[in-house]
Amino acid sequence: MSILQDIKNAVRSRSIHVSYVDVGSCNGCDIEVLACLAPRYDIEQYGIYVHNNPREADVLLVIGSVTPQWVDKLRDIWEKIPEPKVAVAIGNCPISGCVYARRGTLTTPPVENYIPIAAQVPGCPPRPTEILNAILSVAPLIYKDYEEKQP
Amino acid sequence: MKKTVDVSIPLGPVHPCWKEPVRLKCETAGERVLRTEVELGYMKKGIERIMRGRPWQEVMFLAERVCGICSVIHNMVFIETMEEISDIAVPPRAAYLRVIVNELDRMASHILANFSYCYTIEHETLAMYLLNTRETVLDNLERITGSRINTAYMIPGGVRFDLLPEDAAAMLADLVKVEDEIRRHTRIFETGPLIALRSKGIGVMSREEAIRAHTVGPTARASGVEESDLRLRHPTYRALGFEQITRTEGDNFARIMVRFQEVFQSIDLIRKCVERLPEGPIRGGGLCKAGEASYSGEAPRGELTYSIKTDEYGRVLDIAIRTPSIMNIEACAHSMIRDVTSIADVTSTFISSDPCIACNER
Amino acid sequence: MRSIVYYVREFLRPEWLKKFFFAKTAPLVTPSYFKDYPSRTEKECTACLSCMMICPAPGAIAVLRKKDGWEPEVYPGHCIRCGLCVEACPEGVLASGRILDVTRRDKTAFSSWYRLQVDDTLCMRCGNCCVSCPVNRQVDPQLAGTGTSASDEVIMRIEGGRVTILHEEKCTGCKTCENNCPNRAIRVARMVEGVQGEEAEA
Ligand code: SF4
Ligand code: SF4
Ligand code: SF4
Ligand code: SF4
Repeated sequence: MSILQDIKNAVRSRSIHVSYVDVGSCNGCDIEVLACLAPRYDIEQYGIYVHNNPREADVLLVIGSVTPQWVDKLRDIWEKIPEPKVAVAIGNCPISGCVYARRGTLTTPPVENYIPIAAQVPGCPPRPTEILNAILSVAPLIYKDYEEKQP
Repeated sequence: MKKTVDVSIPLGPVHPCWKEPVRLKCETAGERVLRTEVELGYMKKGIERIMRGRPWQEVMFLAERVCGICSVIHNMVFIETMEEISDIAVPPRAAYLRVIVNELDRMASHILANFSYCYTIEHETLAMYLLNTRETVLDNLERITGSRINTAYMIPGGVRFDLLPEDAAAMLADLVKVEDEIRRHTRIFETGPLIALRSKGIGVMSREEAIRAHTVGPTARASGVEESDLRLRHPTYRALGFEQITRTEGDNFARIMVRFQEVFQSIDLIRKCVERLPEGPIRGGGLCKAGEASYSGEAPRGELTYSIKTDEYGRVLDIAIRTPSIMNIEACAHSMIRDVTSIADVTSTFISSDPCIACNER
Repeated sequence: MRSIVYYVREFLRPEWLKKFFFAKTAPLVTPSYFKDYPSRTEKECTACLSCMMICPAPGAIAVLRKKDGWEPEVYPGHCIRCGLCVEACPEGVLASGRILDVTRRDKTAFSSWYRLQVDDTLCMRCGNCCVSCPVNRQVDPQLAGTGTSASDEVIMRIEGGRVTILHEEKCTGCKTCENNCPNRAIRVARMVEGVQGEEAEA
């Protein structure tokens, strides 16, 4: 059992599918996530594959403070992701609303109100290295012994 | 009755090719796309509403966060509008530094746009090359301003940081590298037979259509609209002898090539700026006053207009922003996508007009 | 056939295998000029609140009272790393990237001052603003609950049934009065000017 689990842990930690959803950001964090793809940071060398398809994702990167359109849609997307899954908040927007959290805004941050967030990467925008480190540190923890933790 | 529409295909809002949420509804007959509708509104944050009643040092950051890809030009146009309202003169050194930072940002934005296009037509090799080149450009942006994106570099009456001689030298060295790489990428793009199959003659927009739809920026210039680059009217750019790049084909290929050519042009402009950079202060001071003005500048995607009304303490009473993408997206949906022969070309045609949804909806 | 043999031999070389399985890109370093979250230097904070006043992000920085004096605290997740507070602090308490060195060398600074504006049609003469203002309280600890004061040194007081502003220049721009006004009658305008040169030293 545990050998099997070990193999699963090892394999899973090197094969992470990432999808990102933009729920009302300024684009800054989107392109920093994209910049992680660049050969300089080379997110794929860690086995992370940015695919932007929720149905085969393991990690959902949430970007942006929640706009009215996304209030219900964000939950839909979250439910479409197969277990095990985690959501990582990228940037200030999903954490606090960034500069948009002022009088007159249409957004309703934080994202935690809608879906559970496992890790946060503060910054406006965070550097690609920070994003990379966050994904790498959060993903193995969630998948480690996933089956054994099941009731 | 003859059936004309087979099926209506939605693309988005979450789509592997879209960086941002937008929805296209394509009505198709077989593979042919008959009509496309754009559905916006996923990113409306109400930035203009938040801006009201705030002083420039807060609005500046909101303006920058209208669009993260081309944040410098939003900063620049907002600050120059405030300067026009309050009669603030910019020291010449600061004016040149602004152009340098703005052109670096334009290069990063254009390269990103071309990356998206190459990614969409599944030429991932070239896409990754471009993305890596963009990192070099961003390095220089970071060296001058301290951050890669959302740089907050310009303030009324000047800029925040000076350009050190050693940084300028490092930048020029990097630019040689970038120029080399982009020249190579341009050659790959120009001569690639598969790229030509996916790009040439697809999504054609004629000059008349481009003018009728009020397209701006590289999208208009690729269709041969003259005098559509607002840098022609900017005093600093005029002093640098800026000339517009125009192509006539009006297809996807032309739009990408215009951006490649503009990257070269930006490199030249930066070199000229560094050469002519006058000595002197970088901040002139000056308080924001009451007034009303409308001012435009050339963003990487086209004409960007800020109309601002301020009160006597320099607070923004009323503000309206017109961003370039709104015209380009509409023109794209109605003129370019109209006659594509395959649903597979819809995404690449849409991306070739470099749509920026965040600044579109603010 | 020859080429297959060639490739098999090529790919079985130990160096190649090692490179294939263990190659990683060089570890990435954050450049020294990157504007990271402002960190505290050794300098003493005088609680002038300039940093809080210029900060464009809501809830990003607060000057807190610690055991021995005041200390600015930056909250990641709110701070947008703009570096304005570093430039605005007259004491050099905060540092981020190389902003501190650059501003010292170029003698750049932000000078700011505040304007108070009371809309008489909205003001209900409750005196909340005068009572809540921390500067007022320091100047005149006996400030009455209705906002009247015997001291001429307060920023504002209720005089003859209306708010009179006496010393606008003492205002630190904290906006406490604005937040305590039930009717949004008092408005604080923060005016900031980016300056360079000798006068920036003041
Ligand atoms: S955190 Fe900042 S950079 Fe990221 S999306 Fe929000 S405003 Fe843009
Ligand atoms: S860096 Fe900018 S956002 Fe962060 S605390 Fe300082 S002024 Fe506020
Ligand atoms: S500006 Fe500097 S001295 Fe004043 S409160 Fe802030 S950290 Fe302290
Ligand atoms: S902003 Fe208002 S409460 Fe704060 S110091 Fe000025 S007058 Fe007093």
